[in-house]
Amino acid sequence: MRPMTLLRLALAGTRTDAVRVLLTGFSAGLAVLGVLAALTVVAIPTVANGGNNVSPQYRNALLAEAGLRPGVVFALVLLTVPVLALAGQCARLGAPARDRRLSSIRLAGATPGQTVAIAATETGVASSLGTLAGLGIYLGGRELLHRPGADGRLPLPTDVLPPWWALAAVCVGIPLLSALVAAVMLRRVVVTPLGVVRRVRAKRPKPWPGALIAVGVGTTALIVPLQRGFGSLPREVFLLLVLFAMLAATAGTVLGTGWISYRVGRLLHRFARRPAGLIAARRLMADPWNGSRTLAALLGCLVLAGGAAVLRAWFAADFALENEVSRRSAAAQGSDYIPFGQQPHLESLYLVNLAMTVGLLIATGGLVVALTESVTSRRRAYAALVATGVGRGTLARAVLWQSMAPAALGVLLALAVGTGLAYGLFGTTVTAYDFSVCPAGDCEPPRIAQNVPFPLVDVALFGVGGLVALLAAVGVGLLFLRASTALEELRV
Amino acid sequence: MSILHARGVVRAYGHTPALRGVTLNLTEGEIVAVTGPSGCGKSTLLHCMAGILRPDAGEMIYRDQRIDTLSEGERSRLRRTEFGVLFQFGQLVSELTAAENVALPLLLAGTGRRAARTAALSWLDRLGVADLADQRPGEMSGGQQQRCALARTLVTEPRVLFCDEPTGALDSLTGEQVLSHLVRVARQQRTTVLLVTHDAQVAGYADREVALRDGQVDSSGFGVEVAGR
Repeated sequence: MRPMTLLRLALAGTRTDAVRVLLTGFSAGLAVLGVLAALTVVAIPTVANGGNNVSPQYRNALLAEAGLRPGVVFALVLLTVPVLALAGQCARLGAPARDRRLSSIRLAGATPGQTVAIAATETGVASSLGTLAGLGIYLGGRELLHRPGADGRLPLPTDVLPPWWALAAVCVGIPLLSALVAAVMLRRVVVTPLGVVRRVRAKRPKPWPGALIAVGVGTTALIVPLQRGFGSLPREVFLLLVLFAMLAATAGTVLGTGWISYRVGRLLHRFARRPAGLIAARRLMADPWNGSRTLAALLGCLVLAGGAAVLRAWFAADFALENEVSRRSAAAQGSDYIPFGQQPHLESLYLVNLAMTVGLLIATGGLVVALTESVTSRRRAYAALVATGVGRGTLARAVLWQSMAPAALGVLLALAVGTGLAYGLFGTTVTAYDFSVCPAGDCEPPRIAQNVPFPLVDVALFGVGGLVALLAAVGVGLLFLRASTALEELRV
Repeated sequence: MSILHARGVVRAYGHTPALRGVTLNLTEGEIVAVTGPSGCGKSTLLHCMAGILRPDAGEMIYRDQRIDTLSEGERSRLRRTEFGVLFQFGQLVSELTAAENVALPLLLAGTGRRAARTAALSWLDRLGVADLADQRPGEMSGGQQQRCALARTLVTEPRVLFCDEPTGALDSLTGEQVLSHLVRVARQQRTTVLLVTHDAQVAGYADREVALRDGQVDSSGFGVEVAGR
């Protein structure tokens, strides 16, 4: 097949396909902006000032202090995760119509590989357009936001540009990655000349994802003893271990939601006495992995949010203890007590919280797409149920049960895993030496410890926020239920 | 001379048997109708012989080569170059024009766009729907769509044409027109045609009729062989 034919077939479609292409492009554009912003922060030059590495040309301490920049980069990179998940949800938009088209193309003689190439090309082209738009916004934004203050300092790093090879890698890499992900996502879809079959995993979900969570949390708990055992772990090894632990625990949480869905479905089936509960129960048991697919981005965000909440509590406890030690030393020496300024560090963590909130919003966007698609793709089945006398309220409650029942437990699990990871890594106490006991240095100063309080308010806010976001997404999906259950759908 | 031979073909869907050891031989240039009641395995036999489905047991031999052991991709290429498949409806890509639909098998095989369009227009013209070249399937009647689908099937000049209830969704007059076109072109091109139908009138266009019952060739004598048509 020639490239032009591939392009023509990839871009042949209806308005829904156009919406899918636009949303995919939009997601790719957002991802490019996030990655380019992170690369820009990485590219900021640093000068040595006393014992500190600083970049004095910036007004904001998060950019000016080299030690705080990794947190900013981390937050920006984290933002791309829900964005990529949104792109994944967008790929399912209008899937039945696209599947029919691919099936017709197969009937015309296309091989399975060619149909995958067509679907991947569509995503790749959409991502390329989004990438170009994102690059344009980034370059244009640099010019527009380059506003030095009266002191000559900048609010944003608009004076630096990532190296050209990094820009090129992003512009080529993101469309390629998107196309690859699209091809991988089609691995369970079998396009035949007779139609499209989605392979459903017949096996019941097992609780083994719990082992992944245990491995993840266990690894973080082992890092500190390992550090002690080996003197000091190399930075790369430390980062790899943390990354491995986070990935394992997050994957365990997402996959574990499949098992939760199945168990909730069984429970509902046992105890539900109304049609809505029974319909939801059967659907949860028939495709328990649907919850994992739909909620993956939201749960990923909540794992990180739980971790960030503990990290902030840890920093706050650490600063409080340092200040207490400093106050005691000052009192023992009769000098003035000057508390440590913790604002820049906490600002860095507020930025992570902000990134989590934005991530939750983007994940909610993905949920809206997924739930709307789920309702509209079942319109014939829903219309048939309504035609036989099932009320729309019953169907709405079934969708609500199906979405919320596994999500409520999934959200709890994600927050528990996130806090568990952070407590494993940072510990449940902070310690410091109390130099006020022997100010002359003629004895061993005792260690004093303080517990890191559980950040209940932050965790609860994220938990409630996650459930409200899901509820809002279900609400938007249900707006389409009335149109989707119109009896005319049976005539199409 | 035998062109396609099904020997002892068995195929089941789960625990439900659809074909139970069917043997059928197609010779070059003949038109064979497979008839029988709903659920007797007609379409499954056609799908197996066209390489769309792989039989559970038995052999499918096309010009001395076993095709049931080929990979999915190889069978797709075989369907694109040697076979043509025509269904009842819904086989055109609704987003492409008639000419693009007809040109599609050639484009998938790597033919240039201009050459493929020329060939497509020629076939649309032969089937009397050249004026619809730039229309989409949604803008055509059922009969016009079916003639476009037939043009798409014939554009690669297949050796064997598989038709599954090709007039099932058409009124009798339009159905007759489509069948007349099909038979005329098949005779001109010396194309072998396997025609699956439950309609005796449609089966009447064939040189030979094979009846299936419960997944087996009906050997009771009823309509098994109609020679000399």
